[in-house]
Amino acid sequence: MSRKLTIVAFAAAVAALAVGGLAIRADEFTKKDGERWQKEYMTVVEKGRALWTSPTLGTNGVACAQCHPNGANTHPETYPKFQQQLGRVIALREMINWCIQQPLEGKPLALDDPQMVALEAYVAHERRGVALAPGKH
Amino acid sequence: MKKTAQFMLLAAGLVGAALAAEKATPSPPLGLPPLPIPADNPQTPEKVALGKKLFEDKRFSATGDVACANCHEARKAFTDSPLHVSEGIRRLNGTRNAPTVVNAAYFDSMFWDGRSPSLEDQALHPFLNPVEMALPSHEPILAIVRTDPSYATVFEQVFGKKGATITMTEVTKAIAAFERTQVTGDSPFDRYSFGGQSDALTPAQKRGFDLFVNKGRCVSCHLVEQTQALFTDNRFHNIGVGINDIQKDVPALAGEFLKAKATLAEVDKKVLADKRTSELGRFAVDRTLEGLGAFKTPTLRNVAVTAPYMHDGSLKTLRDVIVHYNNGGVTKKDDPVNDFLSGGIRPLNLTEPEIDDLVTFMEALTSPEYAGLPSGAGTKAEVKP
Amino acid sequence: MNPTDAGRRYFLKGAGALAAASTLPLSLVKLAFADAAQDFTFAYISDAHIQHIEGTKFVRNWDRGLIRAVAETNLLTPKPDFVMFGGDLAQLGSKPELDHGGEILSKLRHPLHSVMGEHDYYLDLGEYWSKLFGPHHYSFDHKGVHFVVLNSVLTYDEWTFNRWPTAEQRMLEMAGLDNPNGSPFMVGEKQREWLKKDLEAVPKTTPVVVFSHSPLQKIYKGWNFWTEDAEEVQAILAPFEKVNVIYGHVHQIQYNQIGRISFNAVMATAWPWPYPATYAQAESAMPVLTVPMNRADPFFERDATGWQFIDMNTGRVTMKFNLYNNTNRVVAFNPATGRPEDRDFQDPAKRIPPQDHY
Repeated sequence: MSRKLTIVAFAAAVAALAVGGLAIRADEFTKKDGERWQKEYMTVVEKGRALWTSPTLGTNGVACAQCHPNGANTHPETYPKFQQQLGRVIALREMINWCIQQPLEGKPLALDDPQMVALEAYVAHERRGVALAPGKH
Repeated sequence: MKKTAQFMLLAAGLVGAALAAEKATPSPPLGLPPLPIPADNPQTPEKVALGKKLFEDKRFSATGDVACANCHEARKAFTDSPLHVSEGIRRLNGTRNAPTVVNAAYFDSMFWDGRSPSLEDQALHPFLNPVEMALPSHEPILAIVRTDPSYATVFEQVFGKKGATITMTEVTKAIAAFERTQVTGDSPFDRYSFGGQSDALTPAQKRGFDLFVNKGRCVSCHLVEQTQALFTDNRFHNIGVGINDIQKDVPALAGEFLKAKATLAEVDKKVLADKRTSELGRFAVDRTLEGLGAFKTPTLRNVAVTAPYMHDGSLKTLRDVIVHYNNGGVTKKDDPVNDFLSGGIRPLNLTEPEIDDLVTFMEALTSPEYAGLPSGAGTKAEVKP
Repeated sequence: MNPTDAGRRYFLKGAGALAAASTLPLSLVKLAFADAAQDFTFAYISDAHIQHIEGTKFVRNWDRGLIRAVAETNLLTPKPDFVMFGGDLAQLGSKPELDHGGEILSKLRHPLHSVMGEHDYYLDLGEYWSKLFGPHHYSFDHKGVHFVVLNSVLTYDEWTFNRWPTAEQRMLEMAGLDNPNGSPFMVGEKQREWLKKDLEAVPKTTPVVVFSHSPLQKIYKGWNFWTEDAEEVQAILAPFEKVNVIYGHVHQIQYNQIGRISFNAVMATAWPWPYPATYAQAESAMPVLTVPMNRADPFFERDATGWQFIDMNTGRVTMKFNLYNNTNRVVAFNPATGRPEDRDFQDPAKRIPPQDHY
């Protein structure tokens, strides 16, 4: 066949497949997918909230929420930044660990611990909508 | 072709200018920020040499045998280690441990209680203190520098002054200029943190560094930052050294002190004369409740070779220091902490191996210039009471 | 006015041995319009939140805050006429906590009066607290000023009596500042009636100072920076020429003027709370006047905590915040503008970075 004809035939075949409901290249997630994933996310946010108010994250009964009600004054939008208390530029979860060790007198979490992800998810969720300001003290 | 030649001449000129500029303002040692130099006291080699001569001149004392260098001896990293507290004329004791001059140029204030705002001002005081040089006034110093031929030409060369126009301003500027050359960095810690040498610290020292920044809680006052480390925050904190012994007397001592309405010169004399008043610390200078029992955070650079430790030299070794912090601000474990203890001090729950790691980390803060000096890490050397 | 018997018991425990020691001169701010003969001072320590861990262990951080406030208050010269404790001595209202806090307060060398806080109240509705500190609401006169102490942390009966299966659960629910299961504070009708009667005999020119744990304003409901019947209480106070409301609970510097009533919050000795505006998901009605306290450095446990001593001059309150690691703040009533103002930082041009770097 001629070059032009081949292309046309190919395009027609792709179109036919698409119409038939088989997207062969694009990841076309649906609205339902999005809603389902949002719910999945919120379960982790809720886990984070539970940890945030838990008196057993540390060893002295103090909970994050005692000083940070609704995660206020944690400024997740400013990370990574130079953290005065650690003497270097860090990510948010390192400061969470600092708080667990210092005011809560507990053991730091592993940086890839699902509990850490939950804590970050809760903090970020309570701060949603605030513009990023990385590096701000 | 013409344009290329012109360009090359220009480029050469720029490079030359850059090199000249670099020579005039040397870059600081590895791990230190740019050196603060006051606009009215620029560094020159001649001024520095004059300052060194003044620093070492024993004639500037009542008995003719005490110079700055007595308590700040160059070969001891500018301290009088292993003395607890310094000895002036006739071996009279003061109440405070001689801080090192090394890197003092980076302090915002001088002395353990910050009562002097600059190196220039600081130099004025020991000459007049009865337990240091004990001169009745600065006149004997001026008499010497104005008439001694080995000084006269230099003062004229450096400051354009001679005879009666030479004042303590010139004397202290020269001393300060000399002190500003005593800056050191490039320790194993610096090479590790800022020089990219991942093997400059031993594994124990790396563990110690981690403790320094995390469980040990040291870094908030003994600052280490992303590109440089002064190891001091230039602030004053009550960490429970000294004041614990006078807790019951604090109201009386503080009250007496304030009634005296002391001037700065009087504060200088009173705090070195009377140990109990000395323990009031920063309070003697700024009269705030904050300052009760508070002393300036010293730099930890070269700390391993400047034993003993704290404002009163009461802690013999670095290990003793860490144990004091580990106890939460008391030297003996179950002593009560004082009511005015800094909020930054609390029990650390360090294990014995962790304490050892911290101590060995602190040995990594010694610059090459002083690497040969004995370490105060765990020595149990006898010191004079 | 005599301190309550319970307060006196604690006072006497500490007094004897220390009476001879001299105290520290701290200069009082002398404001130009003050008539010195009428001046007196009192100290205000609040929100200690003594928290029991187990056995004889308490959270060291909060213990140290109260200990230091007491030690520094004892150094004041001239001596304050009395000390108010502003509420929330305990964290969960337990006997060990109230006893431990009471023991620390017993070292005070001055007469003590106390205000009820929700953390003291909701375990046993203030029964043990009363044994230590006296009635929940009361009034007294001192040097020409009428002082009223309200229990302003009550809430709806349904929540207090019917909602929770155990007293411990009820206390835990109220203890969470941001707990959506909480319930708004109020003075309540019964106490408002008592207040009306109490104030009937007081001349309208007599300065009135009201001590309350909750703000007697509506600032932010989500954190109970709120008094449900604020307007009704303010209406009862409105006829008086000079009214000062001093409140705790918020753990931060706040001040405001509504009509002829000045409002001043006090610092906590335990820990600071964020300003409501730092919670991005809700609106709040923070008093516009307030120059915020410096943002805290959590490394220093006492940062953004403190206590205060209060000058009464010509019937107005001057608050002197004694803040650790920070410049002390003075908030005084300015007769020219008719409202409390920060002596050093009210002018926006004079602010420093820690005050707006939230």
